[in-house]
Amino acid sequence: MKKLSFMLTLIAVLLLAACGGGSSDSSSGSGGQTEDGKQIVTFWHSMGGAGQDALNSIVEDFNASQDKIEVVAEYQGTYDESLTKFNAVAGTDSAPTMIQTFEIGTMSMINSGNIKPIQDLIDEDGYDMSGLEENIVNYYSLDGKFYSMPFNSSTPVMYYNKDAFAAAGLDHENPPATFEEIEEVSKKIGEANDGMKGFALQAYGWLWEQLLANQGALLLNNDNGRTGTPTEIGWTEEEGKSILNWVKRMVDDGTFANYGTNGDNMIAGFLAGDVAMFLQSSASARDVIDSADFEVGIAFLPHPGDKERQGVVIGGASLWMIDGKPEEETKAAWEFMKYLQTPEVQGKWHVGTGYFAINPEAYETDIVKEAWEEMPQLKVTVEQLQSTKSSYATQGALMDMLPEGRKIMETALETIYNGGDVDEAYETAVKQFNEAIETANRARGE
Amino acid sequence: MSMTSPIIETNESYLKKVEKVHKQNRIKSLLKGLLFLLPSIILFGVFVFYPLFRTIYLSFFLTDAKGATTVFVGWEHYVNMFTDPIFLKSIKNTFLFVIYTVPVTVIISLFLAVIANEKLKGIGFFRTIFSSTMGVSVAAASVFWLYLFNPTMGLLNEFLQMFELDPIGWLTDPKWALISVAVTTIWMNVGFTFLILLGGLQSIDSSLYESADIEGSSYFYKLRRITIPLLSPTLFFVITVSIINSFQTFGQIDILTQGGPANETNLIVYSIYREAFVNYQFGSASAQAVVLFIIILIMTAIQFKVGERRVHYQ
Repeated sequence: MKKLSFMLTLIAVLLLAACGGGSSDSSSGSGGQTEDGKQIVTFWHSMGGAGQDALNSIVEDFNASQDKIEVVAEYQGTYDESLTKFNAVAGTDSAPTMIQTFEIGTMSMINSGNIKPIQDLIDEDGYDMSGLEENIVNYYSLDGKFYSMPFNSSTPVMYYNKDAFAAAGLDHENPPATFEEIEEVSKKIGEANDGMKGFALQAYGWLWEQLLANQGALLLNNDNGRTGTPTEIGWTEEEGKSILNWVKRMVDDGTFANYGTNGDNMIAGFLAGDVAMFLQSSASARDVIDSADFEVGIAFLPHPGDKERQGVVIGGASLWMIDGKPEEETKAAWEFMKYLQTPEVQGKWHVGTGYFAINPEAYETDIVKEAWEEMPQLKVTVEQLQSTKSSYATQGALMDMLPEGRKIMETALETIYNGGDVDEAYETAVKQFNEAIETANRARGE
Repeated sequence: MSMTSPIIETNESYLKKVEKVHKQNRIKSLLKGLLFLLPSIILFGVFVFYPLFRTIYLSFFLTDAKGATTVFVGWEHYVNMFTDPIFLKSIKNTFLFVIYTVPVTVIISLFLAVIANEKLKGIGFFRTIFSSTMGVSVAAASVFWLYLFNPTMGLLNEFLQMFELDPIGWLTDPKWALISVAVTTIWMNVGFTFLILLGGLQSIDSSLYESADIEGSSYFYKLRRITIPLLSPTLFFVITVSIINSFQTFGQIDILTQGGPANETNLIVYSIYREAFVNYQFGSASAQAVVLFIIILIMTAIQFKVGERRVHYQ
């Protein structure tokens, strides 16, 4: 008995120790030099899969192209995870030299006080940003000032299975453009392809924002937070419900495939021929085209039939310079940032992933021209961006509570997917969204 | 009279002296005891008590993204919490989850432990198999189950299709999601629970069984009258630890469902995580953590009050 109770105590202690352990980070602090005297730049990023391969190869090229700077790229998990880690080490020596953060983190990065606006470096260096894609400049400059360097940008597009379209006798070069057309096509595809689901919408707050912007609706008031701090949501009931009702009708028709919040499962379902159309970031384009054993089509983001298409908001991420690092280190990171903007690198990046090139000159490079001939689908994402009408709606919203807002909308969408009531889900979501805005404003304590 | 009083006096002063020495000894042994406890007091202080008080402190404030306090709000987080449908749902689902997982885990493990306690040839092999899930990390187990649950190529839906049943959205259907996560958790916890219970079974004195055999008792009589009562301290430990573990479930939720569909699997620890590290509301996250602490405290106290009476210590 003594032995047993000793064992139990031991286990209890071990359990406690295990619970308290948590994850230990082995990531190196930044700064310093390599043995052969190169300046080290630590670069935290969130690119997994094909994006990570492409990024690593770019970093290798950069390190090989000169002998003064050594960039160390470290994958830190998703943007959310990476930002959490960064907030924990901000202001200490363990903070990286530069970090990649998603577009909705823009406002909280600026408010954090841990970053050095890259406008300072642009002015010092006399660097010209006007060569960049106009819509990107619109999103990332606030009152004419750049806080971060745009890097990977994508737009949402609709992927569709051309073979399934052909089997249903539909013109696969002319994909549906409106909500109503998608409903029609979905029914026909289901009939012709042995119950294949027509359409899938991942419960993803980013897609909600894009579907709003595409009908010219604002996400937040005060012009999406561009002319003042937002105090409540910016879309109207009609605009918001148009999306939920559309999904609801497809759920009722039995043409909607529910993959919840899991984008990987959705793509797997598409590749296996379970669903014929889905919305997703163009960043997955290369992956999807390469893995599908059928013809993949890529089309513009759909919009309600009674509204004109307005275009999309820039999605993706930008690179932030961390404040308080030695000058040589910051300078070295700046060199790397500039390298990333060159047409050759952006061309390689676009072709390797499906993110569009933020430097339009990249489209003139041979590597892009060749890839476009082989995969004309990659062009769609660029065309969609360039035909976007510039307005507050398509400039995108700025506020620090946007990640929370996304989760709220995801819950609303999932409620509809599982047969919930549109009015109820909508009211709940709007109420929570407004409360989140209010709390965020109060928490700033101004 | 004059003769006795000095004696009494000496007696009193003697008693005083004795008391003094006693007191000194007590203080000495207290100091000695504290000295021995010092390492754990420091460790607990730094890693448990300080964070605990800090959490309570934070729960009265609004914070910025780094967790620095900005505005004092008093009890507001606590008041809001109990009108917040998301939080109430997460409490309800957490209790449901405990009810789904703990009894089934303990019953399955007990069954496996009893059959693995037989002295048979090659029993070591089965003991290893039964306890093997203990060696699988939460992340690995969750990814493994994620593939089984996969709507397109998951094994479970393939089985259903073999019997011409409709596929189930294991992780996307609100009716199934919590059950799916519970099944995963049971599978993961069986190994550990099994091992502890087997340890408990093996420490039961074999002479008791021998006496019962002489009396000609049946197998089930022995199980009911000897095994279960003598195993009760271990069972009690296992149940307490399982309940606490279930309340603190996080990893499998994060990997399998991320709280979805529509917050159906948003258990309380996951809800705290999301509040703090997605929404950056460290204040209300801390308030939730305090509530979780109180719930677990009460549950454990109840178990010790009710459960201990039934426990038979040898």
